[in-house]
Amino acid sequence: MGELGLESAAENTYSLRPAGQRKFRSSAVKECIHAILKEELANVQYNPEETPQLTKQLSETIKDRLKEKGFDRYKMVVQVVIGEQRGEGVNMAARCFWDADTDSYAHDVFMNDSLFCVVAAFGCFYY
Amino acid sequence: MEEFQPHNDEMIFNAEEAHNIVKECIESILGKADYSHDKVNQWTATIVEQSLTHLVKLGKTYKYIVTCAVMQKSGAGLHTASSCFWDTTTDGTCTVRWENRTMNCIVNVFAVAIIL
Repeated sequence: MGELGLESAAENTYSLRPAGQRKFRSSAVKECIHAILKEELANVQYNPEETPQLTKQLSETIKDRLKEKGFDRYKMVVQVVIGEQRGEGVNMAARCFWDADTDSYAHDVFMNDSLFCVVAAFGCFYY
Repeated sequence: MEEFQPHNDEMIFNAEEAHNIVKECIESILGKADYSHDKVNQWTATIVEQSLTHLVKLGKTYKYIVTCAVMQKSGAGLHTASSCFWDTTTDGTCTVRWENRTMNCIVNVFAVAIIL
């Protein structure tokens, strides 16, 4: 036990909090979402047959892009809502029960003449 | 050490329970009301807050995300999709659709497990 003459204290290496850079940064995620929306929806018209597919595909794309960003130990939820622009009123709200220290969300809205799109991305730290 | 850990293998999100809770909340708030631009903000906020409070009262070790969209009925189309990166054995989601004569309401509940 003491024979080696080397005594190294074992340090705790399991981190319970994300490091500064690895935190789910709202601003960075919002930029990412904004870029994807501009790219994918620039000239798209609302179409009742194609839009369901587009919505699903958009949520998968955004989720994959966020995974690449390197938020390790984060569980993510991406929600995409696309609606036809007809001048009707829509209201969306969200409330979360989580650890405000580590978890966060980002959202963005995209509008063109025929549709509007709201994307919300939530990140929950996995302890 | 084993006694202090919750039974991870049995922790599954009960979607039906969440569905019932949320449905009750929506009924109590929107019930027989007609779409009103002034009140809709307050309605959506109350729906999410109440749903969240009731879900938390279940006492399970979950983090919850509740979103609600209320739309006036005008014949326009609305599509929602969500994509989740999580542990499918313990985490889950539940969607409640509700409507009356003048409006549509969609509530999504996402539950992310906390494994201690």
